[in-house]
Amino acid sequence: TRRRTGEALRAFHTAIRSSPGNTRNQAMKEQAQGTMLKVLTSFKSSEIEQAVNSLDRNGIDLLMKYIYKGFEKPTENSSAILLQWHEKALAVGGLGSIVRVLTARKTV
Amino acid sequence: MAYHSFLLEPISCHAWNKDRTQIALCPNNHEVHIYRKDGAKWSKVHELKEHNGQVTGIDWAPESNRLVTCGTDRNAYVWTLKGNVWKPTLVILRINRAARCVKWSPKENKFAVGSGSRLISICYFEQENDWWVCKHIKKPIRSTVLSLDWHPNNVLLAAGSCDFKCRIFSAYIKEVEERPSPTPWGSKMPFGELMFESSSSCGWVHSICFSASGSRVAWVSHDSTLCLADAGKKMAVASLCTETLPLLAVTFITEHSLVAAGHDCCPMLFTYEESQGTLTFGGKLDVPKQSSQRGLTARERFQNLDKKASSDVANATLDTLHKNSISQISVLAGGKDKCSQFCTTGMDGGMSIWDVKSLESALKDLKIK
Repeated sequence: TRRRTGEALRAFHTAIRSSPGNTRNQAMKEQAQGTMLKVLTSFKSSEIEQAVNSLDRNGIDLLMKYIYKGFEKPTENSSAILLQWHEKALAVGGLGSIVRVLTARKTV
Repeated sequence: MAYHSFLLEPISCHAWNKDRTQIALCPNNHEVHIYRKDGAKWSKVHELKEHNGQVTGIDWAPESNRLVTCGTDRNAYVWTLKGNVWKPTLVILRINRAARCVKWSPKENKFAVGSGSRLISICYFEQENDWWVCKHIKKPIRSTVLSLDWHPNNVLLAAGSCDFKCRIFSAYIKEVEERPSPTPWGSKMPFGELMFESSSSCGWVHSICFSASGSRVAWVSHDSTLCLADAGKKMAVASLCTETLPLLAVTFITEHSLVAAGHDCCPMLFTYEESQGTLTFGGKLDVPKQSSQRGLTARERFQNLDKKASSDVANATLDTLHKNSISQISVLAGGKDKCSQFCTTGMDGGMSIWDVKSLESALKDLKIK
């Protein structure tokens, strides 16, 4: 339903906005990763593209970092939905966004 | 676009003579080969053999016609043409790691060498002793200096390093020049003075370039970003996270437009919007060949699906002129303010000359400001 989609989108933007920027606090990072993974897996495939298109360049780079973090610690069905997020994010961010995941010195 | 395949191996570095009839390049070994244009062909006319390690940088001084080369053997040589032979003069750089880049200053009375010793050697000729001496710029460089570019005032030097930063230093040598007048980068320029330092990006700075006026400096980093610092705007830095693979070389072609190229094997245009302080991507400059669209048999489609999980055959070959990463760009005609021609060399052993007017007419959406 549109209401559910709206909620998922809002949760997504909140998770992106409140991502801990420059912290060494591992617990905080892991909590943010967990929250982001929950939000990403809650999306239906058809809703992903709209969510990705609503992000700016920094948002896309941040999303890519979380996607790869999610790949690192797969849960039962997470990889499938993450691959769909990856495809849409790659279409917007290009290979450069993946390069910045590899070169980032401040990881998520 | 003229493309010439010189080698089957990467061209490590290249430099052109003043009238662009000769190109000096390192064919991925310890030597420098000079080719001369003979109509439509290129003929090898000289082989310079002196280095004991790969030649990592070559620069050809246009007025004095001297070459300077540097290599992984920790040495630099200044070459002078005597008759029809290039004679080398060793320059002691006092470094204990490989030299990585070298540039003549605009007045050709100094040259700078960046190295893995985490410092820059500024070399000048001492008349009394008839040899080249050098001074070091060390602080606060923390890693290998990968690229250098001189400001038109012959004093300021921009350096890109593996410690993720772009810096501008003063390389003022009182023995060879007058005190410089103030610039937008600062007024006091004692040797080694740090005039500007960028905040850290997350990638090694591969290439750095001053604009023709010297009031702007641009650099490309390994985190796929392009940045520009504008001294006219209190050294404000504009940066662009590109969608491409990392860029390895960048040059200004006007005061507002840059061409950069790298691991995507094709040169790209970027524009600096001064009023907003932003950098934008202006398009790829490689005009794609008309690829022959022959039909795929059902068997070929299945094979593609099996091998690559895709029946799309478009990515099987590179459409670009260069078939491997472009590692260097040089301006051939028009200078950095009105460039009409530039040259790229790459890891495919090829050299390509690009004509800006032809690009503008071939790519309709291209806007070079």
